[in-house]
Amino acid sequence: MSGTGRWGSAPALIALLLAAAGMVLTAGGGQDELLSVLPADGAVPGWSRDGAPQEFVGEDLYTYIDGGAEIYQEYGFRRMVVQDYQSSAGRSVSLEIFEMATPAAAYGIYTFKRSGQGRIVPLGSGTELEDYYLNYWKGRFLVTLTGFDATTPTIDGLLAVAGAVDKKLTEGAGAPDLVAALPGEGLRPQSVKYLKGLLGLNNIYPFYTARGLAFAEAVKGDYEEGAFLIVLDYGSPEARVKAWAELEAFLQGGDRFKKAEVRGPAFPLYVDGKGRYAAFAETGNRLIVAVGPGPDAAVGLAARAIR
Amino acid sequence: MTRTIGRRDFIKTGAGAGLTLAMGKALFAASGAAPMTKPPVVGVGIGEDYGQAAGKAIALAGGMKVFIQKGTKVALLANVQSRHPGTHTKPEVLRTVIGLCKKVGAARIDCLSWQPVKQWEDTGLKAVCDAEGVGLRLFEKDEALFKPVPIPKGLALKEARILAAYFEYDRLINMPITKDHAGNKFTGSLKNLMGLNSPENNRTFHKANWKTDPDDIAHLDQSIVDLNQVVKPALNVVDATEFIVSNGPFGPGQIFTPQKVVAGTDRVAIDAYCASLWGLKPADIVQIKKASEQGLGLIDLDKVVLKEDYYY
Repeated sequence: MSGTGRWGSAPALIALLLAAAGMVLTAGGGQDELLSVLPADGAVPGWSRDGAPQEFVGEDLYTYIDGGAEIYQEYGFRRMVVQDYQSSAGRSVSLEIFEMATPAAAYGIYTFKRSGQGRIVPLGSGTELEDYYLNYWKGRFLVTLTGFDATTPTIDGLLAVAGAVDKKLTEGAGAPDLVAALPGEGLRPQSVKYLKGLLGLNNIYPFYTARGLAFAEAVKGDYEEGAFLIVLDYGSPEARVKAWAELEAFLQGGDRFKKAEVRGPAFPLYVDGKGRYAAFAETGNRLIVAVGPGPDAAVGLAARAIR
Repeated sequence: MTRTIGRRDFIKTGAGAGLTLAMGKALFAASGAAPMTKPPVVGVGIGEDYGQAAGKAIALAGGMKVFIQKGTKVALLANVQSRHPGTHTKPEVLRTVIGLCKKVGAARIDCLSWQPVKQWEDTGLKAVCDAEGVGLRLFEKDEALFKPVPIPKGLALKEARILAAYFEYDRLINMPITKDHAGNKFTGSLKNLMGLNSPENNRTFHKANWKTDPDDIAHLDQSIVDLNQVVKPALNVVDATEFIVSNGPFGPGQIFTPQKVVAGTDRVAIDAYCASLWGLKPADIVQIKKASEQGLGLIDLDKVVLKEDYYY
């Protein structure tokens, strides 16, 4: 988990130079560099640091997020720093900056944490502001700010601190290519979630098995009338064929899914435990899972994904 | 009074001496008489004053005097896992429980925890302890401060390592907040008892090379059930006032606000009720299902005496 970025050879000196010059963070190299991103006292008018920053590296994340670090590790976590800020009026905001292994990891954990219903604000490469907290991602970084109340002064301060961090993070990246596998028509953009493992998938659509679900990456998006699409990429057609064989054996043999009795479905079709229909389709490296309230919705969405 | 206790302090107080021999007796004493009524009663207090709601829930569950008697030494186990909104037991709920324990004449009331004092400060729970004049006993994450407790019927966990100080008390009041958990979807009264178990032992609840497959989750939830076989709170008071239903257990996440506090002795029934509050099917939550199957309580809420009311 050591930093291997361009500054890795002299992290302390570089961090000092960065801090002194007010430079921006463009590549991961160590905790000191992450600390340099934290807004100093007065950088946001009326707000100052409250206490010392805390830093957590690699497996140490478990000591900070007791019982909840696994999802960060699944995406690929390197290090984080947390710093509280307090306003002169006594309002409090907590700033967490997570340095992930790759921009895809940062994008993924961002999509996992966002509700999909928050307000979009122009920060980073993607931002959602919820009632009392905000998440955005930029490059390999996920930034989470939490207000300890939802009043206007607190949210204004939260946004100002977020903006100060955003200015120092200049590393950029787009969403992973797999996101483009979701058909654009009818897609709710804020619903998109990018996944790197079973923990993320279980929180979106549990299959109650690991069989056939060792995918390399996956993406999920919501469509009209409660339908949603999951695209699982296995890295190669051979891996996909093997995975589907394992998953289909589970679907047929278990009691969580029932084979749907629908005349002439274009794709294998199952009914899940909540009565929703799940259509499966294969293409290249990918397995498509289209879930809808009825068979037509599921099959239709699967067909769109294949096209 | 707040004090962080290390290994040396613990040995010095003599609390650790002879503890293993006394374990069986102490365990049942701390478990409390807590006779499980048949059918079990679950009290639910509702309202925007969460302290009042807690008082109502406990009254509906039978009243504090049923669970705590005059002269009882009471340990309180609140959830201070995170300071984010909707992730920790509310100070108002803690204040009410302390007040009711005092009212029935408890001889000693202490909060026990191995979470750092900053968590207690940031959540506002330390301020309640200070204001109410009850002890806040914080322990280092030192295995020497935890005592082995065999779990003869344990299917995944054969030995718990319980905070040794716990055995100084006659009764335990379990005070979780119910909320989302990314790993096993739900946390409530059953899972909160991990706060009494050593962090190192808790880590064994997660299998090596955790992949979140069904076997991993089954192992985690069976370990929780096993732990609950040997630690039996006299009363559970669950904060279901405002809690996160996403990004659990740490948050920040979307907050759901039923404004309810849930009290009773049947952990399974309580957790089944709390899970149903935000649309989860209790039978889909592995820990609740397993706990029910293994005799810890009732998952079928139709067989539970559910008493819900607003405070007045």
